[in-house]
Amino acid sequence: MRNSEIAISLKNVTKFYQKFQALDNVSFEVKRGDFFAFLGPNGAGKTTTINVVTGLSNYQSGGIQVFGYDTTAEYLHSRRLVGLCAQEFNFDPFLTIHQLLVYQAGYFGILPGEASRRADALLERFQLGEKRSAKHRALSSGMKKRLLFCRALIHDPEIIILDEPTAGCDLELKFLIWDYLIQLNKEGKTIFLTTHYMEEAEKLCRTIGIINHGRIVRIGDKKEILQDKSLEAVFLEVTGPDD
Amino acid sequence: MINMISNPIGVASLSKREILRFLSVASQTIFPPLISSALFMYIFGIALNNHINFADHGLSYLTFIIPGLMTLHLISSSYENTSSSLFIARWHNHVQEILLSPLSYFEMVLGLLAGGVSRGFTVALGVFFISIFFTPTIIIHPFFLLYFILTIAVIFSCAGMIGALWAEDFGMLSLWNIYLIVPTVFLGGVFHPVTMLPNSLQIIAKFNPMHYLVNGMRYSITGIADSPILTSVIFTFVLALTIFGWTVYLFKIGYKLRT
Repeated sequence: MRNSEIAISLKNVTKFYQKFQALDNVSFEVKRGDFFAFLGPNGAGKTTTINVVTGLSNYQSGGIQVFGYDTTAEYLHSRRLVGLCAQEFNFDPFLTIHQLLVYQAGYFGILPGEASRRADALLERFQLGEKRSAKHRALSSGMKKRLLFCRALIHDPEIIILDEPTAGCDLELKFLIWDYLIQLNKEGKTIFLTTHYMEEAEKLCRTIGIINHGRIVRIGDKKEILQDKSLEAVFLEVTGPDD
Repeated sequence: MINMISNPIGVASLSKREILRFLSVASQTIFPPLISSALFMYIFGIALNNHINFADHGLSYLTFIIPGLMTLHLISSSYENTSSSLFIARWHNHVQEILLSPLSYFEMVLGLLAGGVSRGFTVALGVFFISIFFTPTIIIHPFFLLYFILTIAVIFSCAGMIGALWAEDFGMLSLWNIYLIVPTVFLGGVFHPVTMLPNSLQIIAKFNPMHYLVNGMRYSITGIADSPILTSVIFTFVLALTIFGWTVYLFKIGYKLRT
């Protein structure tokens, strides 16, 4: 890993989907070890930002670095450092959940024995151990959510990016995820989280960024942003009540 | 090529997944082409053999069609393997698993290619072994045969990936195979030598690229060729290299893979 205190850096990133501008000159940094909440209304550009950082989307101009590695020119290095927990359940339907994790670890250069050990440990940690031979279709949506976590963490990434990780979760799972994220952050992992739940961002995160219509409209330390207001009030103030 | 692989475990993992995928459903991927080849051999080689006058060509008609059947199923199997695997990965969006990984675009293509090439090899050699039950055949040029099986499998595995990237639904996925690949392979000389055609059609047949693939396979097994073997060797090599490079390029620009 290149010696950098900045985990994620976007500089003047612009992204169009044909004529629609999804990101408009977006620039911000996420410090190493931070717990960063990235908020915004639906369609504001949160998932697009995640996609350009992880390489799932191309962008037209600007630059993105992960721990100092350019995500386009040095993608082989930058991708090793990032684990993505996406919104959708996009699993290979032909594999058992244990195989799925072992293959995923393999793509990151982890040998099968170690990959299997890690897969077992993560499945146990997320209470999926009994389902290790099942295919993902046999899992409930809460279990699939946990499987997304396991897949994102299988290569022990430095940065964990979560796109609405607790959407649709029951309370028990939500608290399990929160506890695990807090633990990971304490271990030094950088967490980048998008959510629509203001209390989640307020409880977990130290830094907050708000995006609206593809532009960063507020970013900074949580205490500085909130002052005496609630996060919901700040959010509505900068995004507008119509959003 | 070794130096171009920075993540050998990653390539091995992807290759293993692709190979086990088709082996786990051998009843759909391996046995159907073997059964249809056996039927072709029975009908043309045994039932109709006495009605086909093939004495001028220096070998039996059954021996003549074996390399053609091998080529036909080698092409179809290689194409179908990569096209279905990559298209399903796009359809379910689990293609993100490899797009997020530290595999280079070259390595991604190599891993997916492993499945197509392995299936093509398995089916082509399977067809040959079945043919032994009908007529024992000695392979005249085994190294040429390995070369042609490998290059043809690479060409059509890559074509399968390109088809999978281009297709928007399952109907589009099979278009190339049904309307282009299978007809041109048949016309390329699976069941007939080009010299059997009228002169005007012979000229057209020589513009059919599949002719050079079938020609290479037939020369490897029987030692008899319709066209100069060097033309087939160079043609398949250049085509394999070009289409492989094109496929890597499409992965690099994220054609229908990245938004």
